[in-house]
Amino acid sequence: MPDLISYLQFVLAPQMLNGLALGVSVILVALGLTIIFGLLDVINMSHGEFYAVGAFGALALSALGFNYWVLIALVPILMIPIGVLTERFLIRRVYDGGDRHVSTLLLTFGLGMIAEDLLKIVFGPNTHRPENPLPGATEVLGVFIPTYRLFLIAIGAVVIVAVALVVYRTRLGAMVRAAAFDRNMAASLGVRVGWVYSGAFAFGVALAGLAGVLLAPIYSVFPTMGHDFILMAFTVVIVGGMGSIWGAVIAGVLLTQIQAISSLVISPVWADPIVFGVMVLVLMFRPQGIFGRIGHA
Amino acid sequence: MKHNLLTTTTIAMLLASSAYAQEAIKIGVLTPLSGTYAGIGQQVRWGIDQSVEEINAAGGIAGRQIELVYEDSEANPAVAVTKAEKLFTVDNVDFLTGTVNSGATLAVGQVADRADKLIATTVSFSDAITGSGCSPNVFRVNARAGQQSEALAAWLKQEKPGAEVYYLGPDYEMGRSTVAAFKERAESVGATSTGEVFAPLDSKDYSQYFGQLRAARPDVLYTSVAGNDTVRLFTQMNDFGVSEGLTILGASGTVTAQNINAIGAAAEGFITGVGYSVLIDSPENKAFTEAFRERNGADPDLYGADSYGLLFAYKAAVEAAGATDTDSVRAALEGLSWETPQGTKTIRAGDHQAMQPMYVVEVKNGQFTIVRSIAGEDAIGPDTCDKF
Repeated sequence: MPDLISYLQFVLAPQMLNGLALGVSVILVALGLTIIFGLLDVINMSHGEFYAVGAFGALALSALGFNYWVLIALVPILMIPIGVLTERFLIRRVYDGGDRHVSTLLLTFGLGMIAEDLLKIVFGPNTHRPENPLPGATEVLGVFIPTYRLFLIAIGAVVIVAVALVVYRTRLGAMVRAAAFDRNMAASLGVRVGWVYSGAFAFGVALAGLAGVLLAPIYSVFPTMGHDFILMAFTVVIVGGMGSIWGAVIAGVLLTQIQAISSLVISPVWADPIVFGVMVLVLMFRPQGIFGRIGHA
Repeated sequence: MKHNLLTTTTIAMLLASSAYAQEAIKIGVLTPLSGTYAGIGQQVRWGIDQSVEEINAAGGIAGRQIELVYEDSEANPAVAVTKAEKLFTVDNVDFLTGTVNSGATLAVGQVADRADKLIATTVSFSDAITGSGCSPNVFRVNARAGQQSEALAAWLKQEKPGAEVYYLGPDYEMGRSTVAAFKERAESVGATSTGEVFAPLDSKDYSQYFGQLRAARPDVLYTSVAGNDTVRLFTQMNDFGVSEGLTILGASGTVTAQNINAIGAAAEGFITGVGYSVLIDSPENKAFTEAFRERNGADPDLYGADSYGLLFAYKAAVEAAGATDTDSVRAALEGLSWETPQGTKTIRAGDHQAMQPMYVVEVKNGQFTIVRSIAGEDAIGPDTCDKF
């Protein structure tokens, strides 16, 4: 019995808390992805690179003397014009020409490769790491967990709730959902669909940038970091339901907990196949995901 | 008229043969220029470029200049095999080097066997490359895992007798073989093994292994992760307080000039056995490190130094053999001794593994410090190659 308690306290509980921190990280990356997909019907393959740009932006700005806490707000704001320009000058051009999924997928895939190489040219191939702004560990119910990860879980929850409120509870969110549901009808009712699209894309990009800033102290910063979360984020978006914010949250927590707990009993290498196996099952039995798309509830 | 024709033909032949003699020796460099090992590939490139500049400026190899052909292996054996085929058949290189991860070196070695060309690795640690998986066409000029393990085990025996050791390696050929090699050496000097875990290459988060690690209560952790994986492992261990009271030993590629700054304070106290350190106090090494810093704006690490040294061995072999064909160069490389920044290296004819002095180093105040050195003959271990 004492063995069981100490197993729960020293092995299982920390594992689940770590899984939760990882889950929040994945959800932060997946949020922008799911919004861009749900609204614009664009599979943004360069999302991981926007995440990397956010992290490198934070690195460069902190070298200029900006405080880390300022960067959490500043970097997403700086990402907005990047997102707007990308949508206006690149995505929009191929948006209506032929198969939208294929053309935008290829475009964003190429954009991602260019962004990754630009980062490599500007910052070099080596790894960087911003100083952890909250070093040390905190005891929660007898479990030691790094303070910064607790902060990440907290701020992640705040960001998720804020995003959900904006999309589901504001006039702006209603316009976005209307444009996603029926573009022509929304336009005829006076919604400026063009700007809604740019804005939603920029919002997704800003969220990727925010994820980059928040995760940099834990996962370090390097040009190919965009590949890190993108596979998991896509899985979360597919399992949760493309475009659904709550779906992404639930799938994110579920899949990372499966990963964390299963890697206790089996070789960690097999944790990934289990996660992708869950994705395959969802695609087989509920192809629209746990929840439906934005505006298509 | 007949005389004239003969003269013309002779001149033409002379011209052709001198043009042939002037033709550059092509060397393929297949190294990760992108991906998690891009930092290692950068050192390989700097080291090789620098040696080629020096050799070419001094008249080349037997009067022929060296021409390098780079390809990005992306640290992926499948990609490396395709690019190696291309280098051998399309670019027609005379010699190939640069492979970093051991899986890629072993795979490219098989390509070299089929193409009947020679390759040498300056980075891969896996014992298999010059052991169970050895090949007559594959050479290694850097220290293998076994040599590092010998050096580390000697330190462990003296400083931590009867230690309880836990092992954490990346889950592929190099990780498993380095852990197996060190485990065997550590147990032979009286250490107890308390457990081992293998994490996928490029793991984001190592915290999922800390539960098992804590439960095993080791006083020494041995790890062979490398590149960015080390940054994450060490900083996450530090964040979670796992590294308190724990002595961390590792493979020589675990902490290098490429990642030590990103690891920061979490690297403090890390101990490893290496075949190279910028601190080696010899005139050859001083000259090399100064030229390296001047040229590349960074310190050389073991990869840079071993890569730099390689082509001097190739030059010596080609000049001794008087030819660049595979059989002659192979024969000349076997048993060859040559000078490198880290001292005299000798290629053992039986398994194509270079022997060299080894050093035990520790990170103190963000810098590696040499704490012990071990003679090359004492750290080489037995020849286990039975393929040639």
